[in-house]
Amino acid sequence: MAQVKLTNVKKIYQGNVVAVHDFNLDIQDKEFIVFVGPSGCGKSTTLRMVAGLEEISEGTVEIDGEVVNDLQPKDRHISMVFQNYALYPHLTVFENMAFPLRLLRPKMSNKEIYDRVTSAAEVLGITEYLTRKPKALSGGQRQRVAIGRAMVKDCKVFLMDEPLSNLDAKLRNQMRAEIILLRKRINTTFIYVTHDQTEAMTLGDRIVIMKDGYIMQVGTPTEVFDEPANLFVAQFIGAPMMNTVKCQLIKEGKKYFVNPYGVKLEVDGEKAQILADNGVETRDIILGFRPEHVDIVKENGIPVSVLVNEMMGSEIHLHVLTSDNAKLIVRVPTVRLTKEEREGLTAGKELQISFPGKVMHFFDPETEKSLLVKE
Amino acid sequence: MAEELLNTNTPEVVEHKKDKRHMGLTASRTISNTVIYFILVIMTVVWLVPFIFLVLQSFRVESTGMVGYIIPEQWGFNNYVNLFTNTKFPKWFMNTFIIALATAALQTIIVLCMSYTLSRLRFGGRKFLMNFMLVLGMFPGMLTMIILYRVLADLHMTQQNSIPGLILVYAASSGMGYYVSKGFFDTLPKSLDEAARVDGANRAQVLLKVILPLSKPIVIYTLLTAFMGPWGDFAFASYIAFNNSNGMNVAVGLNSLISTPASIGKNYTMFCAGGVVVAIPITVLFLFLQKYYVEGVTGGAVKG
Repeated sequence: MAQVKLTNVKKIYQGNVVAVHDFNLDIQDKEFIVFVGPSGCGKSTTLRMVAGLEEISEGTVEIDGEVVNDLQPKDRHISMVFQNYALYPHLTVFENMAFPLRLLRPKMSNKEIYDRVTSAAEVLGITEYLTRKPKALSGGQRQRVAIGRAMVKDCKVFLMDEPLSNLDAKLRNQMRAEIILLRKRINTTFIYVTHDQTEAMTLGDRIVIMKDGYIMQVGTPTEVFDEPANLFVAQFIGAPMMNTVKCQLIKEGKKYFVNPYGVKLEVDGEKAQILADNGVETRDIILGFRPEHVDIVKENGIPVSVLVNEMMGSEIHLHVLTSDNAKLIVRVPTVRLTKEEREGLTAGKELQISFPGKVMHFFDPETEKSLLVKE
Repeated sequence: MAEELLNTNTPEVVEHKKDKRHMGLTASRTISNTVIYFILVIMTVVWLVPFIFLVLQSFRVESTGMVGYIIPEQWGFNNYVNLFTNTKFPKWFMNTFIIALATAALQTIIVLCMSYTLSRLRFGGRKFLMNFMLVLGMFPGMLTMIILYRVLADLHMTQQNSIPGLILVYAASSGMGYYVSKGFFDTLPKSLDEAARVDGANRAQVLLKVILPLSKPIVIYTLLTAFMGPWGDFAFASYIAFNNSNGMNVAVGLNSLISTPASIGKNYTMFCAGGVVVAIPITVLFLFLQKYYVEGVTGGAVKG
């Protein structure tokens, strides 16, 4: 249980390659923070700097008020779960989990070690595998052992580096739910790295979205979804990706309108108010709207034709083409459609779509920053 | 009818084609296997004959010199008995054993530490050091013999005191033989080291508790090569012993038994018996350690 504070943390590799730029973040005690971003964004590097596996080029990392820059990993009171499990193949599951306890000084009694390992194994449902070697386990079981090994030790910060990436989709969902339960049980500070926005959204108290070594936004899952600070965050969070179109934001008196695909749509009152507060005048923008906020309408909509119909079960992802050849994605819950309607959504089908003003996002085409962020 | 005749893909024809192809494959495989086995048998015979010859000669008791036949007319252990009672062979054997054992232990420790360091740690001059040692290793060790003798003589580590001298020489340069074990360590996932370090291990504990247990084949390989080097060394050992029979190892000692034409006639079969005895410890060591010569034991460590 501890606060973690990263101040102006920078990672510069040989050849002046900067992997992490000026990273500033305060992680609260018992907070579950998720670093998310595409490959090479610096999320794992940042985590490894907290763990002490990577040297910190500039800045400071504090755990529980103590600067740990020059401390060895073993002296930082951390536990870590690796993407590839990193189990010791010559040891049994029991000995793998007991490994960190056997290294403790003063020595821990065998009984205490036994109690801790068996109780962790029970929580993770791996009691029956305690005498096996890692090679006799499946991927999911191995990951449980890796989590168990990190659990048995009293640690201030629990680090997880893409722990679910190597599991198949079904198992990943199951383990994700188990990590949520585990978090409640362990009740310590978590830093979790993933490239999967679904994991980030479902697990994190707060999410740190990174790109090219920079923090793009820090916020709760709701904040980063509803109020993305920039185009990158808007498109990274949410699946399928947010639709975007270059168009004009038009100010008429106190009202704001947008004109995507040659159709004039009014901006909702609350968002118009924020734009007015930010002093936004008529200008070019990138308009963003999420696939799930698009409705199929009978009239006065944007005419489109269906390109591809992806039937996902509970919903259909329609890839559609506008009259000016722009591609959009529309998410249609199947429960809203009759069987005929569902079957009618085939390639070439002409439709009209629309979306309400309250779900629109506006971005500066040059800086890609959101115009809705209050200055 | 004509169509039927032209149709070459009737089931019967297809079946026949398959059979023919099958027969062709089997026949060509049989021929190539025969050729390969023939070559292998010849190579095996060429390789084994000297050993068989040596063993047979060591049991010959009707005469002690060199003879023009292989199978002894009279068999016995006289040569072995003489070797142990009438020569300093036990002393040479013990000298060699001590040198080889100490060298094996020291060299293994040095090589493994060196290899692990070069595999895992990044420090200034690492690449230069590796290249430098590679180039240095290309010079024949014999070139250093004179200066090393001088140094060892000043330290009183020659002639009857050659044991510590030889151990020092063999162990001192051992770090240069890091390539094979570094190559092996490079194949072990670095995340194992990292996991152990996060779990509370220091670098030495990582090496001892995680890396070495996973590196049994390479540890055994290093031990065996480190043992065999001094065990069979002749040139350097004879130079350091400098004709003092108390400081000789088995190779030098046995050679001294047949150093003149007259002594060949007298000691040749005993020399052969010595050769057989020298081979025993190495054979036993191999038999004992070969079970560790298994494929790596890293299964299940990380996601494959």
